[in-house]
Amino acid sequence: MLKLTLFGKIIVYILLAVYCLVVLVPFFMMIMNSLKSMREIFLKPFSFPSQVLFDNYTKAWRQGSIGTGYRNSALVAGISVVGILVVASMFAYAISKYDFKGRRFLFIYSMLGLAFPARLAIIPIFILLRNLNLTNSLIGLILIYTSVNIPFSVFLLKNFIDGVPNELSEAARIDGATPMQIYWRVVLPLVKPALSIVAIVSFVNVWNDFFFPLIFINDKSKATITLAVSIFFGEYSNQWPLLFSGLTLAVAPTIILFLLFSRQFITGMTQGAIK
Amino acid sequence: MHIKLKYLLVFILPAMLLYTVFIIYPLFDSLILSFFSWSGVGARTFVGLRNFRTIFSGSFGKELFNAFFNNVYFFLMLIVIELGLGFLIALMLASKIKGAGAFRVVTYIPNMIPLVLVGFMWGLFLNPQVGLVNQLLKLVGLGGWAQPWLGQSSTALTTIILVNVWRNLGFYVLVILAAILDISPELIEAAYIDGANNWKITWRIIFPLTFSTFRTLAILLFIWSFNIFDTVYALTGVQAGPYRSTDVLGTLFYRTAFGGLGSGAVDMGLGASVTVFIFAIVMPVSILYVYLVEKKQRSA
Repeated sequence: MLKLTLFGKIIVYILLAVYCLVVLVPFFMMIMNSLKSMREIFLKPFSFPSQVLFDNYTKAWRQGSIGTGYRNSALVAGISVVGILVVASMFAYAISKYDFKGRRFLFIYSMLGLAFPARLAIIPIFILLRNLNLTNSLIGLILIYTSVNIPFSVFLLKNFIDGVPNELSEAARIDGATPMQIYWRVVLPLVKPALSIVAIVSFVNVWNDFFFPLIFINDKSKATITLAVSIFFGEYSNQWPLLFSGLTLAVAPTIILFLLFSRQFITGMTQGAIK
Repeated sequence: MHIKLKYLLVFILPAMLLYTVFIIYPLFDSLILSFFSWSGVGARTFVGLRNFRTIFSGSFGKELFNAFFNNVYFFLMLIVIELGLGFLIALMLASKIKGAGAFRVVTYIPNMIPLVLVGFMWGLFLNPQVGLVNQLLKLVGLGGWAQPWLGQSSTALTTIILVNVWRNLGFYVLVILAAILDISPELIEAAYIDGANNWKITWRIIFPLTFSTFRTLAILLFIWSFNIFDTVYALTGVQAGPYRSTDVLGTLFYRTAFGGLGSGAVDMGLGASVTVFIFAIVMPVSILYVYLVEKKQRSA
């Protein structure tokens, strides 16, 4: 867009480089310090480890229940994502492609969740889950996360489905296809990119959440990764090498996922609720 | 297209049931619960407006307004820093430079980490004696600046805000960047031909044309600012020390409804009335947001 003089370019590169350092150095320091002894962290915080202690990781993995956290988070996030994809795409398809009374109302109604954070409803949600015997259960978390992610997913999917030419679904209907067949065979294959955006973004939303597990889960074996690390920080607050390795283990999966799918992430995040 | 009711229900009901039962109904129930006193078990006692009198007066009122103004401070700081820096960095990334794609990826990495873990990580870095931040200051000869960032009322809240910025800035950069890249290059080309400089192009063309994005971001920032919880929880705990200087409505609510060491009586009704207070603050802005989204949908 903007054209820069050579001098301007140099300034821009320097500023961007500084910004990248600010972003990346903390990660680098976290990993470095996760491989040192406590003594070395305190005495030589910025040096490379004199002796690489991978043992910190095995200890953190065991004592921090990181493995259990991974498994629980993967289960909750995985199942929630499937749920979100199914219910949100069906809903978005119906309000995008069919005329019926109350269609506009349903769209506005489904957007309310974008504007009112579900955290404000945490007490009644807590009571509801308790009555259903679903506190301290991964199923309870799955139900909540599926519901919480409906507004954003409907919004994004509706935008994409609106872009599927009506002639296509109309033609399929004239050929005798049922609405279910049109949805499954015509529309869904055409909005695959949107489905993958919804899947990735909501997976990370669920994986990264801390508030709901904090309120609903009080059994270490049911802890998601964020809660597991939080408990670990409480119990081992002085064991810095273990804390750094636990943190590194906990943040690695989403960062790797992001580096693999950065394009989908960036479109998803920027278009999800903004455009 | 027309659709038979039975098919329509198949498509709509699953999402609407989940959403209504687990989001909308609880939001309403929060409102109702705020008129009751309830310890979490047994019967609810209707108390009228007593919860609201309690949260607005006496020592609770003091805490509530302290937390409220901290949220406001949060919002104002975030608006200035996230949108200001975000715009600046987005402009740089939108100019004709090599490697913009890689820069874009890097800016977004911190967003991938759970906020609460960002908090824990910076909690270690900000440790007054052995944390990296103070050690770095000493290393570069600025040892005099080293201080207990989270341990003193004067700096704790601002420090937490900066940790939030570190984590979220990439989001604002990318959203603003996307808006800038939507502007047709011919428009800017034409301005150059007419002799405009970069400063003029930025303020006379780019800013006005991306203004709706700034407005949307400001709205979202407002809503999110009143929901801050994770970073405060991780950095200064539910007691939001020192001396509640980092307390926000989220932590105050958590102490009220779910306890936390050293807090007073746990009362769900009282907790619900705190959420109703947050709700009341956020509501006008939320309605504006839904209105704008819907308007845009119809015009699209």
